[in-house]
Order: sequence, then structure tokens, then C-alpha cells
Amino acid sequence: MKMIKAIVRPNKVDDVKDALAKNGISGMTVTEVRGHGRQRGHSAVYLGSEYEVSLLPKMEIEVVVPNDLVDDAIEAIMQAARTGEIGDGRVFVIPVEQGRIIRTGEKNVV
Amino acid sequence: MPTEPPAAAPVSTPTLKDALRQARDELIQSTKLARGGFAAVATYSERLDDLIRGIYATARTHTDTPHAIAAVGGYGRKHMCLHSDVDLLIVFDGSIGAPEERLLKSILHPLWDLRLDIGHHVRELAEVQTVETDNPEFLIAIRDARFIDGDAAVFDQFSDHCLRPGSPWEAPTLTALRDLVTQRHTQFSHTLYHLEPDIKDAPGALRDVSARHIIDGIAKPGRPAEFRAGRLAEAEDFMLRIRSVLHLERRRNLNVLSHELQESVAGIFGSPGDPPKRQVESLMSAYFHHARIIARSLAVSVKSLTSTSQTDPTPISDDLLRLGDEISFTDGTRASLRPRTWLGAFEAALDQNSAVSDQALTCIERHGERYPPEQFFPSSIERDQLLRVLHPRTGLYARLSEMHACGLLGRMFPEFQKVYCLVIRDFYHKYTVDEHTLRTISNVESLCTPKTRSRKRFSGLLDEVDRPELLVLALLFHDVGKWTNKNHSEEGVRMALGALRRIKLPETDIVTIEFLIRHHLQMSVTAFRRDTDDPTVVHRFAQVVGTEARLKLLCLLTLADVEAVGPDVMTPWKEELLWRLYVDTYNHLTLGYGDEVIDPNAASLVALLEERPDDIERPALERFLDGLPQRYLRSIDPARVFEHARLARNLGSTDVRCSLEQTGEVWELAVMSVDQPKLYSEICGVLSFYGMDILRGQAMSNAHGVAVDVFQFTDQDGFFRLNASGPDDFRYRLQDVVAGREDIDRTLRPKEQGLPRRRSNGVKLVVHVDNQYSDRFTILEIVTQDAWGLLYRISRVISRHDCDIDLVLVSTEGSRAIDVFHLTKAGAKLTDSDADALRATLETALEGPS
Repeated sequence: MKMIKAIVRPNKVDDVKDALAKNGISGMTVTEVRGHGRQRGHSAVYLGSEYEVSLLPKMEIEVVVPNDLVDDAIEAIMQAARTGEIGDGRVFVIPVEQGRIIRTGEKNVV
Repeated sequence: MPTEPPAAAPVSTPTLKDALRQARDELIQSTKLARGGFAAVATYSERLDDLIRGIYATARTHTDTPHAIAAVGGYGRKHMCLHSDVDLLIVFDGSIGAPEERLLKSILHPLWDLRLDIGHHVRELAEVQTVETDNPEFLIAIRDARFIDGDAAVFDQFSDHCLRPGSPWEAPTLTALRDLVTQRHTQFSHTLYHLEPDIKDAPGALRDVSARHIIDGIAKPGRPAEFRAGRLAEAEDFMLRIRSVLHLERRRNLNVLSHELQESVAGIFGSPGDPPKRQVESLMSAYFHHARIIARSLAVSVKSLTSTSQTDPTPISDDLLRLGDEISFTDGTRASLRPRTWLGAFEAALDQNSAVSDQALTCIERHGERYPPEQFFPSSIERDQLLRVLHPRTGLYARLSEMHACGLLGRMFPEFQKVYCLVIRDFYHKYTVDEHTLRTISNVESLCTPKTRSRKRFSGLLDEVDRPELLVLALLFHDVGKWTNKNHSEEGVRMALGALRRIKLPETDIVTIEFLIRHHLQMSVTAFRRDTDDPTVVHRFAQVVGTEARLKLLCLLTLADVEAVGPDVMTPWKEELLWRLYVDTYNHLTLGYGDEVIDPNAASLVALLEERPDDIERPALERFLDGLPQRYLRSIDPARVFEHARLARNLGSTDVRCSLEQTGEVWELAVMSVDQPKLYSEICGVLSFYGMDILRGQAMSNAHGVAVDVFQFTDQDGFFRLNASGPDDFRYRLQDVVAGREDIDRTLRPKEQGLPRRRSNGVKLVVHVDNQYSDRFTILEIVTQDAWGLLYRISRVISRHDCDIDLVLVSTEGSRAIDVFHLTKAGAKLTDSDADALRATLETALEGPS
């Protein structure tokens, strides 16, 4: 099993969710996050005064998938979240040792 | 006085089980028919009484010490549901020894064998001479003590010590009760609105009814039941009926009305044939309705404990007086006949930072239904009073909540009553629609005293809004359309228009409110679900909004609306997204509008051409509008567009034509002339000469060289008011200045030199030049303290740098002036060195003496 952690634009969450669902992945955790990548935010002007917008609002999506679905899931996320502009986000893959369903105690079911 | 119960025959355990099963079956049958309320639980309580008497008939032989058995707590009130605790009090008139212990075991063991949850208190009469201040639960439980069996004289002595009026137990009981209520309400965040409420412990639930009865029993012994008592009893019965179902379904003493159980309860309570979602919504609507009655009833009782009836009343007007920290009617009977005066009580309460008294609220509640909505607003005086009441300030939410609780809000606006206690079932709307609405207004109120730096940004917008009461009015109606399954924004507009026309709100205000209601979801959808990094998204949103004034209102409405969905819904993350969209759109409207000229094929232009008056020919109107920014049509209403077109008709090279109109305190000047250097500066100079304070303004020119300058200003020195010929003098001087017959610089010089040095008053000077935002213009943005002749001085500097002022937007917000100029020099954007030089001169001019 692997955990896929994707940082995407806020407006892309529904597209990513739909793309994952088409690949048979329905469970996920979505969190509001703020941060910056290489672009390190930008400056904005309001009423003539410049201010730095260093931490940009993004959404973090976490899904745990079986090993054989990892590549498809990554591809689905990247296609759905891509605009081609700076700030499209990142995808990380992290190994998962074990998973349990709390209600039933079932092991290693995603 | 307790009566001696009939002597019960001893019964065996199998018989006890049968008796209990029979009693429970009766209650279960009633519960399944949604009749597990007062009557059913009282009958079940009495069956338990009989059961205990049967057990006691055997046990009583163990001791000769006189004693009494009583039910206390919920059992004492006869509120026994299927799995409620059986709380007993056994009092002995003598010391407790081995025989008395045997008696207790003989009573309690059979009850435990029946698997009843028993709570028991055992006391000697001598012990109750001392008030048990360290045992608050006991103090409260015995207030409902009810004799079951034993020696009635012993129970009478116990009652005489602990329960009689004036007993030393009373004051500690009230203190304990108030503390326990506060602790309990704190656990529920002091709100009765929960997606899964606890029918027993939540604010507005059964324990609150009990608390209210105890307070009234002590504070007002023997007083007749008040006006609301009937509704309170209904509410209590409703809660008991739900609790009975919960005990039946959960098979335990659990009282949380969970989502799952809401469906079970609704299935029992609901109308057959209704879809389950509808049944649940009806159930929860009824729940919140009853919970409000209970919560308000308890609040009135608690308040009565601290009322300051000793304070002398202070008259406020013929109709109102202040008593303690509350506003009351001077004469309730007279007030009941004059509904137009009721709003005055709420205005006075807001003005004096007080509450409206229960006397006034009860009067309104009793008599409100006699009056149709029109009678609350017979003239513009009452309408204006409503607008004053709705102006955001501390206490607004509390007063509107009082107004709603006593029914006045719903009487004045039956449209709002349509969403009374309305529940829309989902997993994130915490409040009923009416409470959500009032909380949006509370959120606007809280912006008057912002707590965080992030919130201060939005608070600043509220300060800049001209008529914040229109925002509150829009919030009041923004969700009324939810009473149907139609598009609730459009339905809300339809309903609000009826209400606003009924109170004869000016049409311009109605248009603003209509816009806000129709688009109240637009900004949150754009900010949270669209890619706002895409300029097209911002451009489209800016087109919907049209002007900065509307943008600020919609931004504030969105913040208040999203935050009122639930306590954690407006996260700092969402707040940031909302603010970014606001800034991007604001910049688009103020910096980027110059690049968007009126599209000849735009629907708005086609409509305008169609509705033109007969005296304006279509080609003339098209020629006048050719090349003007789209903003012109968004910010100027059609009637004024036609007037401008008339003024611009056959304009000669030296002609200056203007219209001057007054609306309230504000004058509007529109000037049409052939565009020429220094024109804008000269108009500002003439306005300054007459001491006019410019509030807002815009200047632009069309493709055929016609300059259109529009200013809104106030006549600070009263020149127009004091001089009948003032407007004509103004026109003549303006024509002389523009035609070059008078040098306004020379005219103003003595006045400028005589002015004292300006003080900054906390407004930091900002002069910002942007050569990137627009393809056609250099944009100069100035934020500074407002001062006499400011625009004149700025525009004079710009002219001296040989720059052409192509477009101008000016606004004054409090003591802060915000001016945006779109400039060119020799038909192109300024070079960087020209821009730097202009900025340096302006900074010197604006920081130096005026």
C-alpha cells in the first residue's frame, strides 16, 4: 500500500476526486492547507500598497491505494490538477506499513 | 399535603416482573404512536409507584422507626421514560441502624433484580436541619420530591424543613441551579442549535424546563401561570415524546437525537407519504421551535432572579421608559394599540445598550397578530427608524433575536416568518434558516470590533460602505427563498421586493439589495471553487459586480453568510481566498476598467438603445457612448445616461454644459465638454472654490473627444443652501474657467495660502504608479487624508507634468481619499522616468503644507 499525498489548487479538488473515482478510488481525506513551492508566493497591490502573499491557499488530498493502482492514481491526479501554470502543485508517494478499519478491525484494506 | 396511599399487598418477584413488563408495554405502545409524552410517562411513573409500594409492603416490617419513601428528580416529576433512573429518597425520623439497613435492602434489592437503574438518597430528619450546600444535585433533586409510601407525617416534616417557602434551603438551591445550568450550557457552547441535540441536557431541552419550574417554584410561590405557560407545557410534552422514542430505540438511557435516530423519530412523528428527508426536516423544525420556547422561558426566569425592580424608572419618551438595564413601555395598554411605536423600544435599547424588557416583549407577542404588516410602517418615519435599527452596531443581533422571539420581525415581514425554524437537512448547516440569518447579521456586528488582524481588513470595508444598513436588510432576506424548492436566490429576490416596496424603500436602495440577494452565492462559489489565478475568472466576476461599492457589500455579505453556516466553516484559509478575490476584483474595477470600452453589441447597450426617449436619436446615443468605458453603463443609471447624451448634443469646442441635481445631502454634478488639457483640474478648482467636499467622482471621454465628468459632493459651507442663485453662479464660473476667461489658479491662490498646515490624522500617504496593469494607460493611485482642494492640487500637478488625465475614479471614505487616475503623455503610457518624476512631485506636494 502507498499513501499518495497531492497538493493541488483549491478549485481542482472536485476534478481530482472525479478522476480518482473513475479509477475505482473513492476514499480520501481533504485538508485546507497553505504553503508555497518554488515560486514562493508573489506580491499583490491593494490601494497602492504592495504586500507579499507568501503562503498560498491549496488543498491537500490524501489517498491510500494498493501498489498496483499507484501509477494510475498519480496519473489521474496529475491530469485532473494540471493547468500548465506555475502553482499547479505536487504529488508525493509514501509507503504505508499497515492499515486497519476501526469499526471492523479488518486489516490492510484500503 | 401527601395523602396516605392505600396499603399495598406484598408481591413476589415474578409478579413484580409482570407488573413492570405490563407498565413498560403500555408506555411502548404509546411511544410507537408518538404519544409518549406527559400522560404516558406519568402513567408509567405511577405504575412504578405501585410497584414500589408492593415491595415496600413486605419491607416495612423491618423497622419501627417512622420513615417515608419519596420519588425525587425526574421520577418525582413523573417524567419516567423507559430507561430513566428511578431516584428515591428514604427519610427516617430517627437514627439509622441495622433494622433500617434491612428495610433499605428489602426495597432496593428487588428493584435491582428488576434491572431498574436506582438512585437513592437516605437521610435522617435530624440531618436535614443543615443545608447540604456541598451537594448541588441533591438540592435540586428534592425540589421535585413526591411522597410514595410510609409515614406521611415524616415526609411533611422533611418538606417543612427543605421545601417550604422561605426555607434556608432555597437560596443555596437557586445558586446551585444557576451554576449547574451554566456548566451544562457551557458543555453545549451556550447554543441550542446542534445537528444532533441532546434531548435531556442541551440548552432548550428537558433539564431547562425543570430548572425553570424550580426557579419559579421558589421565586414566585403560588403565582398564577403566565402567558407562555401553555406553550412551555407543549414544548415539554414534545421533548418527552421524543425522549420516549430514543429510549425505545436505543434500549438505554441515551438521549442524543442523532442523525440516524432523527429518521426513526420522524418516521413515528411524521406525516405518512412525506419523503424521509422532509419528515426529518419537519421534526427538527418542531424541535427547534420548542427548544426556543424553553430556552427563552428559562432565560426570563433566570433574569427575574436578578431583576432590579428597586430602580426608579427613567422616562425616555411618551411611550418608553428605562427600568434598570431594560426598556419598557410606559403604558402597556396604550402600546398594544400603537404598533408603529414598537420598533422604538428596540431602537432605544440599541441606543442605550440595554435589552427590551419582558413586559414589552410580552405585550408585542400578545397583540402582534392583530396587525397587518402595513400598520408597522404607516409612513417614512417608521421606515427610516427601521433603517436606523438595522445599522450595524453592538447589540444588533441580540435585539433582532428579541424582535424575532416576540414575533415582531415576522409580523413586520411575513416573508421572513416563512423560514421560522426552517431546517435544511445536511451535515454542515448547524442552524435553522432564521437563526442562520440572524447570525449573519451578528457576524457583521462583530466586524465593528474586529478581534484579529485578518478581520480588520473586512472591518475596514464595513467602514467604507455608505449604507451598511442595506447590507443588513439584504442579509435579512437573503435566504427567505429557502421555504420552497425553487432557486432560493431568485425566490428570495421576489419575496424581498414585495417587502421592500411595502415599506417604500427608495428604488435605488431596492436595486442594491436585489443585486445582493440574487448574487449572494456568487462570490463564495468564485473564491472557493474557481481558479482565481485565471484573469478571465476575475474579469467575469468583476462584470457581475460592476462597481467597488457593490463589491464591498457582496464581500461582507459572503463573509457573514459563510461564517454563519457553522462555527468552523469560515476558516482562515477561506478568509484568505475571499480576500484575494476581493483585492483582484477591486483592482480590476479600479485599475483595469480603462481597457474595457462599451461593446456595441452588448446586451445592456442594445436594451438601453431600445428604451431611449423619443427626443434622443439612436445614432446620437450610439455616438455619445462610443469609446466610453463599460464602467460608465454599470455605474450610471439609464435616465442619467440619457440626460448626459442630451447635454453632449452638438457640443461646440468652447461649450461647457452641466447638470446639477440634489438628492438628500448629496449633489451630483455632470459636466459635458470637449476634452482639453487641464479640464479636470479646472472643474475640481471651481468645486474647491465653493467649498464643496467631493465624495465620489469619475471622469472619462468618448471616442469623439467628449469629456464626461461626474462628481458627487456635499455643500460643506452651505453655499447653495444659503444662496438661491448659487447653482447658477457655479455654472457661470465653471464656463468662464473652462473657456479661459478666468484663471482658477489665481482665484484660489489666496485661499490656499491662508490654510493651516494639514495634519495626517493617521492616514499614510501612498502614491503608487503602475505601468503594467493596463495596456493603454499608466495608472496613478493615491491614498491620502482628505483635505480641501485635494483633487484640484493633484490634478494641477498632473497637468504641470504635461500628462493627460484620461480616466479618473475618486472616492472619499471617512477621512481617507482614494483617487485613481489613468494617465497618458503625448498619447502613450508614461516612461519610467516620467512616472518617477510625477510620483516625486506628488509626494512632495501632498506631504507638504496645503
